[in-house]
Amino acid sequence: MPLRAARVGRVGVIGHPVAKTAVVAKAVSPGRSPVAKTAVVAAAVTPGRGLRRRI
Amino acid sequence: MTNTPFDQLGPVDYLVVEFPAGQSNFTGEMAEELLKLIDAGTIRLIDVLILQKNEDGSVDATELSDIDELGDLQAVEAELAELLAEDDVAHLAAAMEPGSVAGVLIWENLWAAPFASAARRAGGQLIANGRIPIQAIIASIEADDAALAAS
Repeated sequence: MPLRAARVGRVGVIGHPVAKTAVVAKAVSPGRSPVAKTAVVAAAVTPGRGLRRRI
Repeated sequence: MTNTPFDQLGPVDYLVVEFPAGQSNFTGEMAEELLKLIDAGTIRLIDVLILQKNEDGSVDATELSDIDELGDLQAVEAELAELLAEDDVAHLAAAMEPGSVAGVLIWENLWAAPFASAARRAGGQLIANGRIPIQAIIASIEADDAALAAS
């Protein structure tokens, strides 16, 4: 389907070819389930606990 | 799209959600969740395109208005701006696999606009921003856990 005329011949806003997000594969990698991992992250970023800072 | 002055515009993001060939399962849930964000004033939807990347690498773009039954998205469609240009379609489709379909969303983060305006009024200028993938946070935590367990 052709693009609408309003989209043709204009300056774009993205600027460069987009690369596929590479980290997606990690979400489905073997190990703890994504649900469990999400819970871990939620706990880690909860105020009062916080991530351990290494810098 | 409303005529928001540029100095009151919130950060604008985009995403491309790819549905590999034969793996889509559209139930209306995505539209429902999107509408919730709009209705809550969290985001303003600026542009939507549906891209189909053919096996030969060519890309077909479908406007939201080209879809027969939009349901509750009909009202949203009327407010969209055609921000994405032809070049953008090619750039965004570069991430897609041949044979896949992808939804492209552009939105303004309304929730961030007041803070961004205040920062600009205070003389601040944005010099860096980005998103930390949740997977990167998971990897960091897991590395810490592994280091702790080994010590």
